Amino acid sequence: MFKEIIKGMAITLRYGLSRPITVQWPEEQKPATPRHRGRHILHRYYNGLEKCIGCELCAAACPVGCIYVGPAENDPLNPVSPGERYAKRYEINLMRCIFCGYCASACPTEAITLGPQCDFANYRRERTVLTKQELLEAWPKFERSRGDMNQRGAGADQRSTGKSLNPGPSPRLAWEAQADETHEAPLPGHGGIPVNVPGVIDPSEESRA
Amino acid sequence: MAEYKLLTHAFGTKDLPTLGVYEKLGGYQGLREAISKFTPDELVAQVKQSGLRGRGGAGFPTGLKWSFLPKDVFPRYLCCNADESEPGCFKDRWLIDNNPHQLIEGVLIAAYALQVETAFIYIRGEYRDQRLLLERCIDEARSKGYLGRDILGSGWNCGIIVHGGAGAYICGEETALLDSLEGFRGQPRLKPPFPALKGLYGMPTVINNVETLSNLPHIVQRGAAWFAALGTEKSTGTRLFCCSGHIGRPGTYEMELGTPIAELLENHCGGIWKGRKLKAFQPGGGSMQVLLPEHLALPLDMDVIQQAGSALGAGAMVFMDETTCLVNVSMRLVDFYKHESCGKCTPCREGTYFESALMHRLEAGQLTLAELATLEDICDNMNGKCFCPLGDTATWFVMSAYRAFRDEFEAHCGAGTCPVAAAQVTALVPA
Amino acid sequence: MANKTTTPSSSEGLAEAEKVTVTIDGREVAVPRGSLVVDAASSLGIHIPIYCAHPKLDPVAVCRMCLVRVGKMPRLQPACATVVSDGMVVTTQSPEVAKVREGMLEFLLLNHPLDCPVCDRGGECDLQDFAVRYGPQTSRFPITQKSHAAKAVVLSDKIELDQERCILCWRCTRYYDEITGEKELVLVRRGIDTVIDSFNGEPLTSDFQGNLPEVCPVGALTHRQYRFQARPWDLQRTKGICPECSYGCNINIDARDFEIKRFASRDNPQVEDMWLCDRGRYSVEKWSHGSRVRHPLIRAGGEVREVGVDEAVAEAARQLGEVLRLHGGGAIGVIGSPMLTNEELWLLQRLARETLDCHNCDHQLDELGNVSADEHSLGIAEIEDCETVVVLGAEPEANTPVLTLRLHKAQLRRGVEVRRVEHDASPASLGIKGKRLVGVIADEVHRAYAADMADALASGNTLVKRLTVTRGVNGRGAKDMGMLPTQGPGYSRVTGGKDGRQILHAASAGAIKALLLVGAETVLRGAGILAEKALAKVDVIIAIEPRAGIVANAASVVIPGHTYFEKRGSVTNVEGRVQRVSPALPPATAAPQETRVLAMLAAALGATGWGTGDPFEVNTMLSQAIDAYRGAGNGGRALWKRQGEPR
Repeated sequence: MFKEIIKGMAITLRYGLSRPITVQWPEEQKPATPRHRGRHILHRYYNGLEKCIGCELCAAACPVGCIYVGPAENDPLNPVSPGERYAKRYEINLMRCIFCGYCASACPTEAITLGPQCDFANYRRERTVLTKQELLEAWPKFERSRGDMNQRGAGADQRSTGKSLNPGPSPRLAWEAQADETHEAPLPGHGGIPVNVPGVIDPSEESRA
Repeated sequence: MAEYKLLTHAFGTKDLPTLGVYEKLGGYQGLREAISKFTPDELVAQVKQSGLRGRGGAGFPTGLKWSFLPKDVFPRYLCCNADESEPGCFKDRWLIDNNPHQLIEGVLIAAYALQVETAFIYIRGEYRDQRLLLERCIDEARSKGYLGRDILGSGWNCGIIVHGGAGAYICGEETALLDSLEGFRGQPRLKPPFPALKGLYGMPTVINNVETLSNLPHIVQRGAAWFAALGTEKSTGTRLFCCSGHIGRPGTYEMELGTPIAELLENHCGGIWKGRKLKAFQPGGGSMQVLLPEHLALPLDMDVIQQAGSALGAGAMVFMDETTCLVNVSMRLVDFYKHESCGKCTPCREGTYFESALMHRLEAGQLTLAELATLEDICDNMNGKCFCPLGDTATWFVMSAYRAFRDEFEAHCGAGTCPVAAAQVTALVPA
Repeated sequence: MANKTTTPSSSEGLAEAEKVTVTIDGREVAVPRGSLVVDAASSLGIHIPIYCAHPKLDPVAVCRMCLVRVGKMPRLQPACATVVSDGMVVTTQSPEVAKVREGMLEFLLLNHPLDCPVCDRGGECDLQDFAVRYGPQTSRFPITQKSHAAKAVVLSDKIELDQERCILCWRCTRYYDEITGEKELVLVRRGIDTVIDSFNGEPLTSDFQGNLPEVCPVGALTHRQYRFQARPWDLQRTKGICPECSYGCNINIDARDFEIKRFASRDNPQVEDMWLCDRGRYSVEKWSHGSRVRHPLIRAGGEVREVGVDEAVAEAARQLGEVLRLHGGGAIGVIGSPMLTNEELWLLQRLARETLDCHNCDHQLDELGNVSADEHSLGIAEIEDCETVVVLGAEPEANTPVLTLRLHKAQLRRGVEVRRVEHDASPASLGIKGKRLVGVIADEVHRAYAADMADALASGNTLVKRLTVTRGVNGRGAKDMGMLPTQGPGYSRVTGGKDGRQILHAASAGAIKALLLVGAETVLRGAGILAEKALAKVDVIIAIEPRAGIVANAASVVIPGHTYFEKRGSVTNVEGRVQRVSPALPPATAAPQETRVLAMLAAALGATGWGTGDPFEVNTMLSQAIDAYRGAGNGGRALWKRQGEPR
C-alpha cells in the first residue's frame, strides 16, 4: 500500500522536475510534421510567375466545394502565369475546408499545397474566405518567407520527409496586438498578421529597390 | 521465256518521238484498226480477252475495270496515270521519253473503247521535260487529225489534256489523282463510290497506267489472242522492270512475264556487282515486301510473287548486296513515307511519324528490345487500318525486313552496333 | 382543326422506307436501308467512338476510330461510312477492334499537347472521354519528340484555333463546305505538318462561325467570348429559345454564378437543325449587364417611394380606374413587347380589352394592317419540300440569319430552287409556273408584296405557302395572342383601336390619359422623341419593366419585370412553333412574374376569374381560348385553317 503511494508520487515528482512538454500556445508554436495539412499556399515559380493556371481541377476535386476559381486569359506581354490561362480569382472557404488535400493531389502544376499553419480562428466570417492575395507566396521574398525548400507543404512532393515545418508566429497574437491599437480587426497580411506570405510585391518595384 | 521487246521494240530509232518517224514504223495503225474494225464494246471485249492487267501496282485486269463503267452515263473521263513516284521506278518516264506517240495512241484507243471525249494525262510535276514533249506530240497528232474533232472520219471527237502534278507521291493513288486534277488538295477519296461510277467531276472515270495504255496499240494490231499467248496464263504480255541497286547494269528491261527473276538478274542486269552476294531484293518498288535470294527462282508472275509474300507492284526491282544494312534501308523508306503521307487519316499521318522516330532511334542504337516490339505493334495498328494503301505500304517493307532479318534488327538495339557495318570493318582489317 | 401535327421532315420520310436487318454484336436490329453502321449500332445502344463522323455532315472516314469488323471483309471497315446491307454481321466488341481503338487513340494523342488543364474543352472533350474509355493508359512515344504547331491562332474576333490540339477530323472544313458553303477553313501542308488554317490566312467573315467550336470534337476551335470563362462542370444548363430573332432556334443556356456564359445549340431538326448564327450565339453579354429595376416604385409629386408589390398594384389599379371612370377606355393605351411570352401577351390584351375596355393595344409601333395566319403557313423544315422558294429582299435572311443555312441545305441536298429577288419583283419575271409547292419568304415590312406574289403564283396545281419573318423573339406570338390594335386572339375580329405609334401620338396630344407599358422600353426607344414627348405628357404611366430607362424614369407606378431568361412561359416562332422557356437565371427582383402581376392588377380592378396568374394556368386558359394552340402543345406548330380550306 505504502509502496504504491511512493511509486505513484515518484512519477509525479519525476515529471515535476523534468522539463514540461506543454507548449504555451499561441505565444509559442509547435513545429508541424512534414506532411501536415494546414492552410493552403499558392506557389510561384522562381521567376515570380504563379504556378496556378486556373484550371479549376482543385475545385472539381474538392469534396466540399470550398474552392472558387475564376480563370482569365493571360496578357502575353505581362503574364501572370506561364501559358494562356491564369486564375484571376482564387478563393478558399476555410469554414468549409476539411483539409483532405485532394486539391493538392489534383493540381497538375503543384501550385497549391497545404502548409503548416493550422490556427484560423477569426472574429469575422468573411475573413475565413481566403483570397488569392492571401494564399499566394510573395515574390521575390517568398523563398525567405517559406524557408527551406523542403517546406513546401503536403502534396507538393511526396518525398519531402525529415525536417519539420515552422508555422511561424501565431496570427492570433498578432491580431490581438493590432486590435489593441486600432480597435479594429486588421486584414491578414497587414500589421504583422503573418500569412506565411505577405501581399504580392510587384516585380518591377522590387527591382527598383 | 526471256526478254521480249514489245513496247520497246523501236526504242533507239532516231527521232522516234516525232510523228513522221513513228508513223513510218507503223504508228497509229492500231488506232486506225481500232476505229475501223471494232465497235467500242468489241474493243473492251478484246482487251478483256487479252488478259491485260494494270501495270501501275495493283495488277487489276484492265478489261474488267473498263466494263464497270455504267452504260449511258456521259461524259466519261479517262485518266492516264503518269504520276510515277514509287522509289526505284522509272519506266513511265522511259516510255514517254522514247516513244510518246505510243502512249498517245494507247490513250486514244482506250478513249475510243470507252467513248471518252476528254482524256487526261496526269504527269508527275518533276517530269517537266516529259510533259513538254507530250504536249508537243499531242499538237503534232492533232495536226494530223489523230485527235480533235471527227477523228479519222469516225465522227468521234477526243482531246487529251496533259496536267502536271505538284510533287506529291499520294497523287499516284487514283482518287487522290482525281482530286488533284480537279484542283483540290491531293488526297484519296472515300471508296465506294469507285471512280468507275463517280470519278472525275462526279462522272464515270477510268484511270490507267502509262505502261498499260502503251500496250493497247499492240493488242489491237496483233490481236488479243496473240497477246494472251505471251507470258503466263494469268499474267499475260510483257512488263518493264526498272532494275536498280547493287547490280552490274542497272536499267529498264522488258521481260516476258513468267521469266525467272534469276534470269533477269544474271543475264540482263549483270548480276550483283563486285562479285558480292545478293542479300535481299524488292520486286515491286519501295512499298513492297522484301524477298530473299531463295526467291530468285520464282517467275516474274504477279500471282506467284504475291504468294511469296510480296508483289510485283510497279515493276521496280531493287537489289541489295550483303553490305546493305536492312535497318538503314527501312529507316530511309519509312522517312520517305513520313514525308509523303498526305495527312488525311490518323494511322498514316501519326503512325509514319512514330515509325520514323523509332527507326531513327534504332539506327542510332538507342532502342530497347521492348521498343522493337512497339515498332511491330504500331505497324500492326497501321497495316490495313489506313484510308488508302499508302499507310499500309509504309509498314510492309519494315515488317518483312524485320521478320526476315530479326537478328540484324535486334543487334541494333541497346548496344548500337550494326553487324553489317561491323563485318565490313572487319573485312578491311588485315588478318 | 388544330390537331397535333408536326411537319414531315426528310428523315421521317425515310423512316417509312424499306428496312434491312443487321446483326451487331449478336443482336439483330431492323434499320432503314441506306443507314450507316454507326447509326444502326446506336439504335441498339452500342457505342462506337467517332471523331470525324457527324450526323449532319457527309462521312469521310479519316479518323479511323470507328473501325469495326463487318462480315467476312478482309479489312476492318469504318462504321461511319459503311452502309448497312441485309444480313450484315458487325462486331464492335472484340479484342481486335479494341486494339485498333487503343492504337488509334495512341496515334491521336501522339502529338497532342495534352494541355487539358488550360483547354476550354476540358471536361466535355471527346478525346478525353474516349481516351479514358478506350485508350491506352500510357504513351510509348517520348514526349520530347512531339511535333508542335501554333497555339492560340486568332482566326477572327470570334474564333480562336489551337493547331496542336487539332486531330484533323475535317469537321470544320466540311461544315464550311456543306453547311454554309463558304469554305473559309482549309488544310495546309501535309503529313504530320498538316494543320487547319483560314484560307490565305485571312480572318473569317462568316456569320455562322460560332458553330465551329461546336462541331470540333476537341479543343482546337474555341469561342473567344467564352475563352476561360468556366468549366463545363461549373455551368448550369437550361433549355431555352434564342432571344435574338423570331426564328426560334433551340438553345441550351449555360450559366455560371448567375451570369449567362454561353449559348449552345440544342438540335431541333425542324427549326435550326443545330446551327446557330453568330448574332444569336454571341448575344450572351447583353443579358448579364445593364441596370435593373429591383423594387416597385410609386412616383408622386416629384418623390419616389419604394413600396411593396401589393401596394404598387393597388396604386396602379387606383390610377387606371380613375382614368377609366373619368375618360373611358379610349383614353388608355396599352403597349407590350415582342419579347414577352405568349402568356403575358394574352393576359395583357385580355386586361386591356376586358377589364379596361380599351382597344388601343399593340406590341410594336408600325401599322400591320390585315394580319392573318396565312402569311405564316410555310414551315421552316417545309422549305426543303418546296420546289421553288422565292425570297423577297435581303431582310428575311438579315433578320433571321439561320434561314440562310436552311435555304442552302434545301438547295444542296434537295435541289430546291432558291430565288432571291427584289421586294417588288414581278411574279411574271420569275418564270415560275406549274410548280408543285412554292414558298414565298418576306419580312414583315414587305408583307404586301409577298401577298401579291403569292396570289399571282397560286394556280390550279401550284400550292403557295408564305413565311413572314417577324421581329422580336415572340413577334409571331404577339400576333397570335391578339396583341394587335385590329385583331384579337387567334386573329379574331374585334373593335379596332390605335396602333403603337398612334397611341404615342394621341398621348403626346393629350387624348390618351393613361399608359400601361409592359416591357415596352425597347419598343418606345424605337419611337425616339415621340416616346419621350408622350411619356412627359401622360401623368398615369403604369410600367412593368425589368430595366431602368426612359419608361422606368417616367412611370408613375413601376413594378419590376423579369428579363427573358428569368421567365417561365412559351414563345412562338415565325412558323408558329410554340416552344417553352424556363428561367435560366434567378430573378433580379422579388416581385412575381408578369403574369401574376397582371392577374393581381385585374383583380384589383374588379375583374374575376383570372386565377393566380401562374404561367401554366394561363397557358391552359389561352389554349382553350385559341384553338390552334390547343394542338400545338410544347414544341408543335400552331396551325390555322388556310383560307378557303374546308374546316
